[in-house]
Amino acid sequence: MMIESTLLSSLTDLSHGNQAQKDALKMLNEIGLPHKKSEAYKFTSITSILEKNVSFESKEESKVDTSKLYKEDGSHLVFINGVLSNKDSNISPKLKLEIRAVTEGLHDPFSLLNTAYAQEEVSIESGYEDPVFIYHFNTNGISNPRIKVNVKDGHTFRIVEKLITPEEKKTFTNSYIEFTVGKNAFGYHTKVQNYNAETFSHETVVASVSRDSHFYNNTFSFEGAMVRNNLTINLADENCEGHMYGLFLLDKKSHVDNNTSVDHLKPNSYSNELYKGILDEKSTGVFNGKIYVRQDAQKTNAFQSNNNILLSEDATLHTKPQLEIWADDVKCSHGCTSGQLDEDAIFYLRARGINEKSAKAMILNAFASETMEYVKVESVRNEIQSLIDKKLM
Amino acid sequence: MISIKNLHASIEDKEILKGINLEVKAGEVHAIMGPNGSGKSTLASVLAGREDYNVTSGSVTFENENLLALSPEERAQKGIFLAFQYPVEIPGVSTTNFLKTAINQVKEARGEKALDAVHFLKLMKEKMKLVDIDQALLSRSLNEGFSGGEKKRNEIFQMAMLEPKLSILDETDSGLDIDALKIVADGVNTLKTDKTATIVVTHYQRLLDYIVPDYVHVLYKGRIVKSGDKSLALELEEKGYDWIKEELATV
Repeated sequence: MMIESTLLSSLTDLSHGNQAQKDALKMLNEIGLPHKKSEAYKFTSITSILEKNVSFESKEESKVDTSKLYKEDGSHLVFINGVLSNKDSNISPKLKLEIRAVTEGLHDPFSLLNTAYAQEEVSIESGYEDPVFIYHFNTNGISNPRIKVNVKDGHTFRIVEKLITPEEKKTFTNSYIEFTVGKNAFGYHTKVQNYNAETFSHETVVASVSRDSHFYNNTFSFEGAMVRNNLTINLADENCEGHMYGLFLLDKKSHVDNNTSVDHLKPNSYSNELYKGILDEKSTGVFNGKIYVRQDAQKTNAFQSNNNILLSEDATLHTKPQLEIWADDVKCSHGCTSGQLDEDAIFYLRARGINEKSAKAMILNAFASETMEYVKVESVRNEIQSLIDKKLM
Repeated sequence: MISIKNLHASIEDKEILKGINLEVKAGEVHAIMGPNGSGKSTLASVLAGREDYNVTSGSVTFENENLLALSPEERAQKGIFLAFQYPVEIPGVSTTNFLKTAINQVKEARGEKALDAVHFLKLMKEKMKLVDIDQALLSRSLNEGFSGGEKKRNEIFQMAMLEPKLSILDETDSGLDIDALKIVADGVNTLKTDKTATIVVTHYQRLLDYIVPDYVHVLYKGRIVKSGDKSLALELEEKGYDWIKEELATV
């Protein structure tokens, strides 16, 4: 019944779809999109919000403004409504890239939706080209960009991903990116989510990490009507690491939901998660962090922390750690805090001659900056820092 | 320099200061002593502008200006410095960075030119010697994980950097061993000129062996009940505060 909602019925027909896509649609038809009582979407009723807000009749397309691309060496991949645009991209010939038929993905509703309706699947592979910047332009309402990244054995691969949406039109982007990290390799993935009041998105990131490898995800959220991040890391072998860092610095009526999950499957793996929230005005922040430690995964170290500062009485925060541990020899910890700005700290700085506004900005900046440690691309780091500064000033 | 007249202040409707009168001139050192809960720290906080306290009546004039109308930062910019009893830990903000911001905002307020990085470092090096503080400590998060002594030395270091006209030391001696106490006192003494003044708030006489006061005042139940010279401090050390309480009771 959900599936017959305006959301799905308005999507383009599936005549282009291959077997994987038809299977995905069948599965999606069975499970449906999340509804009000879906636990995983308790604080983000995305389906009904989309039904109410987003009209998916294709209208006149807005322009692609490539001045928003990073000025940094590397490959710049521009996707327009889920389709790689060669004309707008700047792709190094050294980057191994393939545009191919859609292959299977995760089986949660929005991943299935992406699988079913993606126009194409772009796969890229580490090699001589790094970093890779991926830009998703959504110009006509709905898009399902789909990317698969292969970090080969022994390689380091840095991926930066960004969605760019028009301010004058409501859009919904349902993106999907999947990383396969080979042995003894490092994958870095950074997202900057600085959207607008018309932007709705559901963004799935999944990584499967092999022996002796590390995967880092950094997600920085500044504005959006409703943004849902689903991050799943599978630590599939021994001695691998998953790192999850996030900042949601929100105001107005922005709503950002970070749903993260790390699964320790084998012994001696490590995960660390740090999410920080600063919520002002009528914004809403959600953090849900799941840690699974399977029976085989002895000697796991898993740490999680979520700290939040609420700057307004109208801001809302939901935070929920979730640990499920089947192994008996593990070290796991989690903690979350939420509170107001520390008045004693502000007074201390003011008593040294620093004005109130700067004092607050200084404290919040220090609080927020801790999440930036693993952003390994200079221009992106600078962009994030200046977005933080701008928001706090 | 500062003139406090009939100052009443309360917190959450509880009156703590019940009519303080105090006059401090340039070049002077005043000690304010008194038993716990007498209002010493409240007085220091009210002078620095902490907003938790409500001034219900009285006046404070600092260099012919109504101090009570000014924000904490304006007071600091005009030359008031409070060395905190419990310096606040601020994660992620280094002492160096914070002080650079502070000094330049103070300079801006005074219409002076901002210090560039070179001059700032030079000034820092010079003042670090004064309180024997290590540069590594200053690049760490402000007060975070500092020992009690390190925190207090950092307070005096900040005072040296900001060169205030009126310094208020709130229980700077509490929790300090004798070596740290000497360093702190030496620092304060070196910074003293005939144009600056110091108010030393303390529970113990010990600090006053090193920072010698011109006047000693005893604060009790929100009022200054006795004033004298440094010999009063010695008397208090010897006899405790009970004789003052008794003396007051008989009046």
